[in-house]
Amino acid sequence: MSTTPGTTPDATGEVAAAPKRRTTLVAAIVVAALALAGVVTWLAFGRSQGAATGPRTVAQIQEAGKVRIGVFSDKAPFGSVDSSGAYVGYDIEYAERVAKDLGVTLELVPVEAAARVEYLTSGKVDIILANFTVTEERAEKVDFAKPYLKVSLGVVSPDGAPITDVAQLDGKDVLVVRGTTAETYLEAHHPEVKIQKYEQYTEVTNALLDGRGAAWVTDNTEALAWAKNNDGFSTTIASLGPQDSIAAAVQKGNADLLRWLDDELVTLGKENFFHAAYTKTLEPVYGTDVSADELVVEGGVVR
Amino acid sequence: MSPDVLLEHAPLFARAAVVTVRIAALGILGALTVGLVCAAVEHFRVPVGRQAVRAYVELARNTPLVVQLFFLYFALPKVGVVWSGEACAIIGLTFLGGGYMAEALRSGLDAVDASQVDGALSLGMSRGAALRHVVLPQGVAVAVPALTANVIFLVKETSVVSVVALPDLMYVAKDIIGSSYDTREALTLLVVAYLVILLPVALGARALEGRWRRAGLGS
Repeated sequence: MSTTPGTTPDATGEVAAAPKRRTTLVAAIVVAALALAGVVTWLAFGRSQGAATGPRTVAQIQEAGKVRIGVFSDKAPFGSVDSSGAYVGYDIEYAERVAKDLGVTLELVPVEAAARVEYLTSGKVDIILANFTVTEERAEKVDFAKPYLKVSLGVVSPDGAPITDVAQLDGKDVLVVRGTTAETYLEAHHPEVKIQKYEQYTEVTNALLDGRGAAWVTDNTEALAWAKNNDGFSTTIASLGPQDSIAAAVQKGNADLLRWLDDELVTLGKENFFHAAYTKTLEPVYGTDVSADELVVEGGVVR
Repeated sequence: MSPDVLLEHAPLFARAAVVTVRIAALGILGALTVGLVCAAVEHFRVPVGRQAVRAYVELARNTPLVVQLFFLYFALPKVGVVWSGEACAIIGLTFLGGGYMAEALRSGLDAVDASQVDGALSLGMSRGAALRHVVLPQGVAVAVPALTANVIFLVKETSVVSVVALPDLMYVAKDIIGSSYDTREALTLLVVAYLVILLPVALGARALEGRWRRAGLGS
């Protein structure tokens, strides 16, 4: 609404506009009141709803007869939906087994990467099983069980000039995606390599195909999957740098369920459950070049 | 905003500024060369060449530099032409700037009345001498404000070359934001770095415009 001096209405205009202005004011007050009421309602009900669903113990889950597990629906081969609409993947194998051993039915809840912590803190799921890497920041918000998978960096290089040792990269161009652990790791530990940073995965893989660098460094799970699908390239170093663990997570303070999950890992370790899950879900993607032991963790103990 | 953090990151920006200035300088030089040739082709109405120049100018001016860079860097290798990131940046800037410089110079040359050429010829000057002593000095004088504006524009356009992994000012700023989260300091230094580069250019451009005007050549 313009109130510049040049457009001030004359006296008659003021008089004519007065009743209209009052109506507008009333309307504005009504709208503001409704908005306020809405916010108050949301705060009262929305908040209390979140607080009401605190952590559920194993006994409570078994009594309810259903466990809610948050998984990925779009991150093959860990958790995705196949053409028939069924959930498949490495994490799903684990989730199904957890439900079976709890003796309850399984409700899979699709989650997004950035919302995984929120799903637990707001009590929308009992467990998150979505390729969840253990970090200090996350451990302040949720409780992690023992790991069932490990991830580190991998090096993809052309078959014509394979990089089998990181020392071979000395003075060479190495491609990374900005903001990944590969970038921080190389800068901190291998300042002798020349790092080329790209914004997108598609850009970095194109640059690799065009021979713009000696190698591409990224998460080994990604490296393996990409190299498998691109002739002329291989994951020549399958694990490099710091090793991160991937684990199930529960709501902060749910010690009962956490203990149950850790015990479950010991039981599953005895039957090499995760090697079987690997063969079923990950091996078709990664091929047989990589040994399952480089990724799989049995019994919750990283070796 | 902490002065310590600013000082800590300043050397990185100084190094990146060298990359930005080098790319800009070479690209602008290329753009002026391409622009001059194109303007001459248009001014003298060279058959076929003139149409080709028109098509080039429209293509250069109506596609963003970042698209041109992606094309040079990611598309050309698919047909076997692999240029380094820096070569792509300089060629891209030459391509983009050439279109703008051509238009600026052409309008300058066209501003010189045809009767002046007739006059020069009637005084016994050769065509070349008429171009050198009569048309070019006046035409360039008219074009100077547009040319300097193009120079400043092209320096600023270099801020997208980080998409082809060139460690220019923008690349370093993104690095610092991503690694240390010193967002305010990094962006402040980025603004300062561009001002340090461009203020002298802008002041120089103004002085140059004044000189050409005082010479009384550009009306």
